[in-house]
Amino acid sequence: MRRLWSLALCLVLVSFVVAPSLPPARAAAPMDLAFWGGWTGPDGDVMHQMVDQFNKEHPDIRVTLTTLQWTPLFDKLLTSVRAGQPPDLMGMHSQDISQFSTLGILEPMGSMVTGAGFKASDFMDVAWKGTFYKGTQYAIPLDMHMHAVYVNTDMWKQAGLNPAKLPTTGDDFVAAAKKLTVDAAGRHPDDPGFDPKTITQYGVGMMNNHHGFYMWYALLAQQGDPFIAPDFTRTAFSDAKSNAAWQWLQDLVFKYHVVPVGETNPYQDFVTKHVAMLIDGPWEIPGLNTVKGLHWDTTTFPRVFAAPAAWGSGHLLTIPKQNDKAREQAALTLATWIVQHDQEWGNSGNLPALLSARTSAAFRALPGRRGFLEEQAYEIMLPDVTQSAQLYSSAAPSPIVVAAQAALVRDVPVAQVTQELRNRVNAILAAP
Amino acid sequence: MKVLPQRAHGHRLVGGGSPFTPYLFLLPYLVVFVLFRFGPVVGGFLTSFTSWSIVGSPKFVGLANYRALVHDPLFFTSVANTFYFLFLTAPTLIVLGLAFALLLNRPIAGRGAARVLIFAPYAMMSAVVGILWTWILDSNFGLLNYYLAKVHLGPIPWLSSQIAAMPAIALTTVWWTIGYNMVIFLAGLQDIPPQLEESARIDGAGAWQVLRHITIPLLRPTTFVVVMLTIINTFQVFDQVYVMTGGGPGTATLTLVQYLFFQAFQTFKLGYGSAIAYVTFALLLLMAWLQQRLLPSEVSA
Repeated sequence: MRRLWSLALCLVLVSFVVAPSLPPARAAAPMDLAFWGGWTGPDGDVMHQMVDQFNKEHPDIRVTLTTLQWTPLFDKLLTSVRAGQPPDLMGMHSQDISQFSTLGILEPMGSMVTGAGFKASDFMDVAWKGTFYKGTQYAIPLDMHMHAVYVNTDMWKQAGLNPAKLPTTGDDFVAAAKKLTVDAAGRHPDDPGFDPKTITQYGVGMMNNHHGFYMWYALLAQQGDPFIAPDFTRTAFSDAKSNAAWQWLQDLVFKYHVVPVGETNPYQDFVTKHVAMLIDGPWEIPGLNTVKGLHWDTTTFPRVFAAPAAWGSGHLLTIPKQNDKAREQAALTLATWIVQHDQEWGNSGNLPALLSARTSAAFRALPGRRGFLEEQAYEIMLPDVTQSAQLYSSAAPSPIVVAAQAALVRDVPVAQVTQELRNRVNAILAAP
Repeated sequence: MKVLPQRAHGHRLVGGGSPFTPYLFLLPYLVVFVLFRFGPVVGGFLTSFTSWSIVGSPKFVGLANYRALVHDPLFFTSVANTFYFLFLTAPTLIVLGLAFALLLNRPIAGRGAARVLIFAPYAMMSAVVGILWTWILDSNFGLLNYYLAKVHLGPIPWLSSQIAAMPAIALTTVWWTIGYNMVIFLAGLQDIPPQLEESARIDGAGAWQVLRHITIPLLRPTTFVVVMLTIINTFQVFDQVYVMTGGGPGTATLTLVQYLFFQAFQTFKLGYGSAIAYVTFALLLLMAWLQQRLLPSEVSA
């Protein structure tokens, strides 16, 4: 009896060892590809669906998509390169290219992009240019995302405003924001006796972190001033224009009281109807679509000064350097397939960089993109600098976050904000 | 005649073998310690003399990182903020921890439940605590501001205010970790023979005198440990800050370890980050030494 038991046990154990190795004996094992990206919201779901579709259509390749927030993902990228096991395909932003190509971990992709049948005229110009650093192309453009304004159309109508006329200029924007800001006694910011301490509904929600800096950057560009000199060694904006840009933003919070002081979660405030408008990017679209009873539309980022401009960036797909050419080729196949299906990626909220996808009927039919589509042509990206991680970090001690919070949270005089921003940026640019 | 080994008498089951046998039992821990603790400690020290961005090879730069620290205003901001955090949390954690322990060492009703409730937050992960309190402290829909509004105070934008952010994180930390200190103090209190307090009381000592002359002096070894651990833990604050404010607004909650993380893992300056780590270590060592001088762990009559 005991012998029988041990025989049975042996058989079970052996079957465990043998079983998984049987199927590959029949068909050639598919190549496993690692694809990493920082899409941790609803955008990640869209990319997972696309990867599943790709895997179905390509039995010889098996892609695993790993999504993680961008900052830890980039740490993981560097350590994986160090360990000789980089991901085969990596999502990034345009402003990340300079840093990682300087670190020498990105493969120049110019000939690969041409070989895949893509050319400059296939893409939005800004997105195409965003894949280059110092004349070398390191990526294929995937999408564009920029600031625009979400408007709660129900609150808009309740305030007696015309939903067919959403604001485009800075003045109209402020005027509407005042009408949408209400204190406990129903008064608006310009009414006598208005009490900012008892505001129950605000006109605008906006981020006071690195996005606060992005808005300043756009307002600077609206006045025609560059942030950094073309040789990347120092700042190039004038005090007057920088001050004017910060002042306009600061006034929204501290003079007109149309933005909550020290707002921590503008998106949540918009969803819960604490704010009637929201300055944010198109990545919020899928989330907003799931909120029941919330009716909204979009319009352009406020045109405060002469020229239209809004901060924007774009996702792109890049291939970290590796020795295995077959894997590199498979990664290119994946990247090409994803970009060719760019209109599906449009479901993530991001705007396709591929012109044919952008103009496709399927994408045009998606609701709520109007403001972003109108803004797309005026998108400006951050200047490429090798110190981008240090300069543009979204973590607190980076100069752009410190400046934005000085102006928008601490109510520091704008001239001082400008001066401190200039000093810190110049110090970073001067360091090797 | 040959003397039989002791083992033969059955007195010692183990022993009599190689003198290295005990070390064999220590080996598994030693391997883990060397690989994951001591190794990185030495590695980090060496890295602090290099310029290195994880990829590529480290370049030896001598004391350049330490010299750069001296001219880095953000570094001094982070040192000041760390001491401010220490000042806000450590005394409260120690005194309140002791108070809770004294209270819950008495045979009062609901003692068990109270002990559990005070200790329970400590069992939570730091990220959970951070997110929980971010919601409690939120300026628009947070629990705390809801009740402050009822008494016509606020709303206070706790985490995005230059002044309130650090106290808010300190409050979170006290709530989270006070139970740990309480448990250690409780253990210390239960080591004090009750006869001592009894006889003092019979001699006519009041509650305060018993506490002052019996309990606190006898608790000194425990206090020493609690003070030391509290200082080390609060000085290395990171998780709560990372989750709740990321060091902001501005640089209001930028602590040493937060700044270290920023330099090493967000701007990829591993050498500079390591230098910050070693200065932090030196500061802690200095404080431990000062504590040893000022607060001896021995019980003196």
